[in-house]
Amino acid sequence: MSTKELTTSPNLPLSMPDDPIAPAAAQAGGQSSGSYTSDNIKVLEGLEAVRLRPAMYIGSTGEMGLHHLVYEVVDNSVDEALAGYAKRIEVTIHVDNSITVTDDGRGIPVDLKTLDNGEKMPAVQVVLTKLHAGGKFDSSTYKVSGGLHGVGVSCVNALSEAFDVEIWRDGHTYEQDYARGNPISTLRQTGTSKKRGTKVHFLPDKSIFTATEYNYDTLAQRLRELAFLNKGLEISLSDERTTDAKTGEAKRTDFKYAGGIAEFIKHLNKGKQILHDKPIVMEGFRDGVDMEIALQYNDSYSETVFTFANNINTADGGSHLSGFRTALTRTINSAGQQLGLFKDVKENLSGDDVREGMVAVISVKLPQPQFEGQTKGKLNSDIAGTVQALVNEKLGMFLEQNPPIAKKIINKAIEAARAREAARKARDLTRRKGALDGGGLPGKLADCSERNPERCELYLVEGESAGGTAKQGRDRRFQAILPLKGKILNVEKARYDKMLGHEEIRAMITALGCGIGKDDFDPSKLRYSKIILMTDADVDGSHIRTLLLTFFFRHMTELIKRGNVYIAQPPLYRIKKGKSEQYIKDDREFVKVMVKRASDGMIVRYGDGTQRIDGPALTKFMGNLNDYLGFFDKVNKRLRNEEVTTLLASHELIKRADFEGVDGKAPLKLDAIHQALESIAKKYQFKAVNAPLYDEEHQTWSVSYNDSQGAPRKIDWTLASSPEYRQMMSKHVQIKDALEPPFIVEYAGKNVTPDPEETEGETVGEVEAGKPAPKRSGRVSQEPVKKATPRELFEYVVDQGRREYQVSRYKGLGEMTAPQLWETTMDPERRTLLSVKLEDIAETETIFTTLMGEDVEARRKFIEDNALDVKNLDI
Amino acid sequence: MATKKTILRCPTCRAVVTTKDTDFPFCSDHCRQIDLGKWASGAYRISSPILDPEVLEGLDSTQRPGNDDE
Repeated sequence: MSTKELTTSPNLPLSMPDDPIAPAAAQAGGQSSGSYTSDNIKVLEGLEAVRLRPAMYIGSTGEMGLHHLVYEVVDNSVDEALAGYAKRIEVTIHVDNSITVTDDGRGIPVDLKTLDNGEKMPAVQVVLTKLHAGGKFDSSTYKVSGGLHGVGVSCVNALSEAFDVEIWRDGHTYEQDYARGNPISTLRQTGTSKKRGTKVHFLPDKSIFTATEYNYDTLAQRLRELAFLNKGLEISLSDERTTDAKTGEAKRTDFKYAGGIAEFIKHLNKGKQILHDKPIVMEGFRDGVDMEIALQYNDSYSETVFTFANNINTADGGSHLSGFRTALTRTINSAGQQLGLFKDVKENLSGDDVREGMVAVISVKLPQPQFEGQTKGKLNSDIAGTVQALVNEKLGMFLEQNPPIAKKIINKAIEAARAREAARKARDLTRRKGALDGGGLPGKLADCSERNPERCELYLVEGESAGGTAKQGRDRRFQAILPLKGKILNVEKARYDKMLGHEEIRAMITALGCGIGKDDFDPSKLRYSKIILMTDADVDGSHIRTLLLTFFFRHMTELIKRGNVYIAQPPLYRIKKGKSEQYIKDDREFVKVMVKRASDGMIVRYGDGTQRIDGPALTKFMGNLNDYLGFFDKVNKRLRNEEVTTLLASHELIKRADFEGVDGKAPLKLDAIHQALESIAKKYQFKAVNAPLYDEEHQTWSVSYNDSQGAPRKIDWTLASSPEYRQMMSKHVQIKDALEPPFIVEYAGKNVTPDPEETEGETVGEVEAGKPAPKRSGRVSQEPVKKATPRELFEYVVDQGRREYQVSRYKGLGEMTAPQLWETTMDPERRTLLSVKLEDIAETETIFTTLMGEDVEARRKFIEDNALDVKNLDI
Repeated sequence: MATKKTILRCPTCRAVVTTKDTDFPFCSDHCRQIDLGKWASGAYRISSPILDPEVLEGLDSTQRPGNDDE
């Protein structure tokens, strides 16, 4: 137990410890038997004051004060441990809610101490009966001392109905009993013992405390904390009120942490996802202050910090915390600078940023700590600079020596800074600009007059000019138009960026009326039942559409689930013949119409000229040929030689077996391709044509060549199993019989009846849209035409159809007149709308992620392979 | 490009999410906020080079049936 080491007192003869009892007893006896002096009264007055105003000394007479008694006693034992003498502390709650605290320290001194009045008293009695007596008040005994507020164990004595102390020291056992602060026996030597230490048993005075039941968890929490804070110290807590039904043993918990506060951190981070394996530990002793700091980051967004001064939980922080925080912010910022992680960060990381997800324990021990505040939970001693210096140095060193961990921590803080900034900007999106805004609908919105959302539609239109056309063309009763600007920025030369600016998104959210964000988004407030994205049918349009869809998917998911989001289908072509017009939505349909028109009366001879194809078969053939050529081009992107690609198709390399070979010999088809390649090598200036090669890894054969640029081109199973190759071959099967050049195009004689009215010019007759044109006429040449390749044939036929019409290809919505836009795209009677489905949009999300990705090369390739194929984005 | 069984990931942190999650398509409101902030600050851009010959070549092939100058 804690007290001044009295054996060093010059007033006491060195021989005293050998025989302290007799005089002590005499003294005590004298006290009680009538030699009454004013000095005695002082002592009693001290403890009487505690009993009169207990709250002044232990905080309260409620639950808190009741538990405080235990802490006061235990703290004395911890002091013994801090000084290096005690290793174990046992705390027991008895059935009567009395407490026993036992330690294996040096034992409270029992030798006689001479008081100021010359009276002699055993040291233990001084400790237990005089306020502010004890070793903790002398820094030469305990350099640092816990003890909650230094009132000493005498308070506990004063507030206990019964208080018994047992001391094992120098081979003897000593005992003394008290009641309400008064000794009811003298200190007596009761036996011998090889043990060392002190045992205190006390029963809180029921006439003082309003609470009398000890709470196991409350005590356990504090004792666990003490065990963390005092590395290696073993503290056990037993509760005899709760016994195991089987063994009859008392409920018990042992606390011992060799790792000290580092283990405290692990305890606090239990169940959390941590950012780095081991807590960062900083220890040091400077300017008389013993500092132990540990911290570890987890992936959460909150900060958890426990601070202690001399084992006292300083819940309100204080100088040690502020020193730590200053140093943490400074050190992480400077480490980030050194590691070059702040390229994209405008400002320094703030204290809040660097503390997000941090769990830290700061424990300082210092002589005579000063506290302040009602609960004395704040350290006032000026040690901020000392703590700061330690953290600057140790944390700086740690981060320098552990760059991977440093990066994780700093990146987390950067992320925190971004999140803070993002949250601010997100809030900005819905913030009303001014109180006078009224309904606050965006100025660019041309709203409809109908107010029932069920009947209202909102067109989100790309571009101001298209927006203008749409405003004119709409039915203003139920159709609203919001033009959006997909900003184009020259970030660097030859690049353009499509994006939705802050104002566009803001306008959209305001117009829709359903809010945004977890708390504000409310689909029932949607002002329109149909949200229709109307963008140009080109790459830029598809990019804007991708942006919009992604935004809706991420932040207004429910609208997509409810089927509120649609894509308008503006036509790609307008074809005109005389006064009749027809709108065509895509290239595929365009080709179909052209071919149908052209193939009427057309005969195509192929191969040796004896075989022919015409009529509906020809139309079908041309459609398949169109598809085939599309896939052919994709395959050809890999080989960059149409003749070689044609070779593969004509040799019908389809199955894996075509690459497998037999008995170690290359498959026949590959041999043939190899020979064919050699025969055209000169023509195309191939640098090399390599013989079939066996690939052990895939157990297939391949043929390769180096093109005129020396680039290696490989014909193998990987190529043949690619989707575009398979698609090409599936079309090839359908048309291969007729795929024999040369092709001769001629016209059935009986059909060639020139129309007298239309003898010249390209535009002929009047056709009703969608119906076959009258028999052809005015064709420039009726002579048979010879075409050497399928592509030439295809292009010729399409071109023949094209000659019959005036063709307009719409590059943008803005090229249409308002009535045209209404007629083709906006009129509910005639338009086609694509409804956006959640499963489709997940695909957009993938596209978007790739488009937004960090990997520039992957993005470039992706755009090349997919984005230009509008169909793929046309979900 | 039918990928019905695609694994969905949180756009912000790439954690796997399911359509049943309360914050779908995000894993958490925190990640939602970050993403919304990116939209609000114009961080999402689709950038394309204008003069990439490959892009032009691609453009030509999708417009095969005709040229646009009518």
